Amino acid sequence: MSWLYLGIAVIFEVAVGISAGKAQGFTRLWWTIATLVSGGIATFFLSLALLTFDVGVGYALWTSLAGVGIVIVGALFLSQRLTWKKFLGIAIVIGGVVGLNLASTA
Amino acid sequence: MTTTTHTPASGTAEKKTGPWLALLLAGGFEVGYALSVNGSQGFTNLVWSIVAVVFFLLTLFFLSVALKGIDVGIGYAVWAGIGAIGAALLGPVFFDETLTMTKAFWLAVIIGGVVWLKLADSPKLTAHQTDSEPGASDQQS
Repeated sequence: MSWLYLGIAVIFEVAVGISAGKAQGFTRLWWTIATLVSGGIATFFLSLALLTFDVGVGYALWTSLAGVGIVIVGALFLSQRLTWKKFLGIAIVIGGVVGLNLASTA
Repeated sequence: MTTTTHTPASGTAEKKTGPWLALLLAGGFEVGYALSVNGSQGFTNLVWSIVAVVFFLLTLFFLSVALKGIDVGIGYAVWAGIGAIGAALLGPVFFDETLTMTKAFWLAVIIGGVVWLKLADSPKLTAHQTDSEPGASDQQS
């Protein structure tokens, strides 16, 4: 259940990242509202996930998986280039998440 | 915050230190945000919940101020790095949590990955790389 909460929190944090970029320093009203609303929802589900996860672990998972999501959404829908550097970053994050899980279940 | 006098001589120095100070504050507030979201116990604890909302608004505000003067990729990288490292180190201080060596190692990998990812999104750094100088001086150490 905690992974489901974390997943929802990650999706809304991706929305935060995208809309914060579009808000251009919070000068555009609707993107600013979108940022705040997604941020509120993301925060709520993060707090539910953190009922199970340690804050250090849960927060790192949340922010890094959202970072991966932002790059993937950017590449798929916002015509941003998926460079080998970004690809490497995604691989490192995912490798770290897998490693952390293997280590904590071992 | 200290008060600074706006003399013409300090103008250039302020342009650099101002945004970075804002970025460090944003990072600090992000750590506070992470810890208070945890403390809110799923937003059932009122005081921690209010603190979390205040930290959330503060971190957004100072981040937006900082990103006016700092490249977006670098700004996000530093901010995300401070937030995640701070939460990992201070979690065990404020809550009943432990940070083992193995856990710290994998957290470092994850945090390193996201910092790298944000830097790879930097228009400034990527511009340097597509230029003729691959070993540009302001690459992060």
